Amino acid sequence: MHALIQGIILGVLTAGVYALMASGQTLIFGIMKVVNLAQGAMVILGAYLSYQLFTSFGIDPLLAIPITTVAMFILGVAVQLLFLRPLKAEDRSELSLLVTFAVALLLEGIMSVTWKTSVRSINTGYANSSWTVFGYQITLVRLWAFLLSIAALLVLYLLLNRTRFGRAIRATVQNPESARLLGVESSRVSALGFGLGAATAAAAGSVYGLLYPFNSGSHYDLISRLLSIVLLGGLGSIGGAVVGALIVSTSSAVVASAISPSWSEMTFFVILLLVLLIRPQGLFGTTARGAI
Amino acid sequence: MQLHNRLRTTSSLVAGLAAIALVITGCASKGGGGGSTAATSGANGSPLIIGASVSLTGDFSDSGKAVQRGYQLWADTVNAKGGILGRKVQIKIVDDASSPTQVVTNYQNLINKDHVDLTFGPFSTLLTIPASQVAKRYGYAFLAPAGGGPDVFKQNLTNFFFVQPAPTTQSGDVFANWILSLSPADRPKTAAYAELDDPFSAPIAENIRTKFEAAGIQTVYKQVYPSETQDLSPVMAAIAAKHPDVIIGGTQSVDAYAQIKALVQLKYSPKFMFQSNGANSPLEYPNKVGAGNTTGVMSSADWFPGSKASGSDAFTADYTKKFGGTAQQVDDNSAEAYATGQLIEAVAAKTGKLDNATIISSLHSGSWPTVLGDLSWGANGAPTGEFNLVQWQGGKLLPVYPSGVSQAAPVFPKPNWGG
Repeated sequence: MHALIQGIILGVLTAGVYALMASGQTLIFGIMKVVNLAQGAMVILGAYLSYQLFTSFGIDPLLAIPITTVAMFILGVAVQLLFLRPLKAEDRSELSLLVTFAVALLLEGIMSVTWKTSVRSINTGYANSSWTVFGYQITLVRLWAFLLSIAALLVLYLLLNRTRFGRAIRATVQNPESARLLGVESSRVSALGFGLGAATAAAAGSVYGLLYPFNSGSHYDLISRLLSIVLLGGLGSIGGAVVGALIVSTSSAVVASAISPSWSEMTFFVILLLVLLIRPQGLFGTTARGAI
Repeated sequence: MQLHNRLRTTSSLVAGLAAIALVITGCASKGGGGGSTAATSGANGSPLIIGASVSLTGDFSDSGKAVQRGYQLWADTVNAKGGILGRKVQIKIVDDASSPTQVVTNYQNLINKDHVDLTFGPFSTLLTIPASQVAKRYGYAFLAPAGGGPDVFKQNLTNFFFVQPAPTTQSGDVFANWILSLSPADRPKTAAYAELDDPFSAPIAENIRTKFEAAGIQTVYKQVYPSETQDLSPVMAAIAAKHPDVIIGGTQSVDAYAQIKALVQLKYSPKFMFQSNGANSPLEYPNKVGAGNTTGVMSSADWFPGSKASGSDAFTADYTKKFGGTAQQVDDNSAEAYATGQLIEAVAAKTGKLDNATIISSLHSGSWPTVLGDLSWGANGAPTGEFNLVQWQGGKLLPVYPSGVSQAAPVFPKPNWGG
């Protein structure tokens, strides 16, 4: 029982990080109908950037987030303008898979040249600290990661719901033609939306680097997890991404802890399969274009 | 120590292809000089050419380059002393790109085209298996510093010698032996095993478990985790909930760090902690888990900085002089490669000969001093010794058992994390 509850605590705290990564993924899909296979690589790039800021300048990874998010926002916009915009609208969804995979490989190559392929981890002074609550351990890093992810998701929510830019994004998601008729420049919204997705990857990357060792190849595991989360939650739904992350992360932690680590990934895929059989659009997805 | 585990089922296919290639090239190289006759002590004055295929690119390149450094350093050292039996040593290294097909081609060429006198092994079990078969075909002694997986010894090759103290999967036995040497009051009563699912890590822990269970140490937890497991916290949480006296990690590297970090965060410090790999990396381990958390953790090693084995001081000094860095930064793959050369030197000194047949028959009897300690082999090339038990004490990795090599007494129970 103790191991089970400890597993749930670990799973819920870790879910925040995945929710943050997946929200960027689902946002990009919502706006452009682009499945961004480079999201995992962008998270790892974010992790490397905060690793570098930490080792070279002693900047705490959590405090480095404003710097890395801005840098990655610019990178995201550049990727959209350079690689995705030239694609024709009618076959963008299909071709974007290839293009974003190419971007992922490009980023992986750049990272392995820059930081080599040995595994890095960000060891802050508080990396191994934890609080004991009723006999259970709350890992400080995971708690920070969780709170930070909630904060970042809140910022994202406010941005989407309380700003003109957010309205433009949501209008583009719901009906790109009408949005264009009303004066929303959808190509600019797409670029900025992709930048925003990359920025969430940067924030998540800082936290990811605190939690796990990583190298340039880590993005493969990550992207399969992220795709599963957004599929489970429903492509294009940020709320769905959060719920999907919670299910993925908690189920794998609980199964690993209470049953066997060999079954932990498997369990999640069984859940995913069942959900998709009953609701092919995912938990919160819509069959037509919908709201994010 | 062997870190890589790319033992794939392709090896049988590779062996088949190798056999065909062997027949073809064998026919084409009549009069090329069999290994047993090529390197005779009669060729006085001509250089002694030793060929090796090493992974300078590809998956194993980091370790491969370390092996290359070890071979080259040994050759330089020997040549500075005037060579072996009056012959200067030349190491001819070719790159196999970590490929089990390329490694076959390379040894074919080294033996048939370059007519090398002797051959040294490549890196990893994956490459050692096909390579050792080529060497066997031509009667060459095959001394391999890396590639000690179980399948290597199943070949029962009489020309093969694994240059480490014991087969890789038995590297943890020294920990079990030490625990069982303790008085019953000091011995752990309960044990937990967390094992990485690969051909080297899990079997090391399983060998320990067999010994422990036979001695009445109760297993309270045992799980094998897949290599893609990113988060070991849930596994370690389950272990911590069982309060075992000893935790055995059948680990590789990243998972070893993750185990410790998770245990620290869970505030569970067992009385004994052993990790098969990762914890024996003098440079990486403190960096990855935090220096304070290393204290008391045990692992096994063949070579370690400060080792008193034959020639180790000179090796360490020459290595740091030639390649820079400190003794702590010397790669143990380099030490194993260096030991391979030492064996040739020792056989020459003892017999006055350098041919493959003499090397094979000599190494099959007696024990031979190297920087890894004294080595001896069974008929299939499996070393018959045991690894050294090492423990982190005061930020240093020290040998603590067996008593012949120990430089400090083992500390137990393990101090709490951070101390």
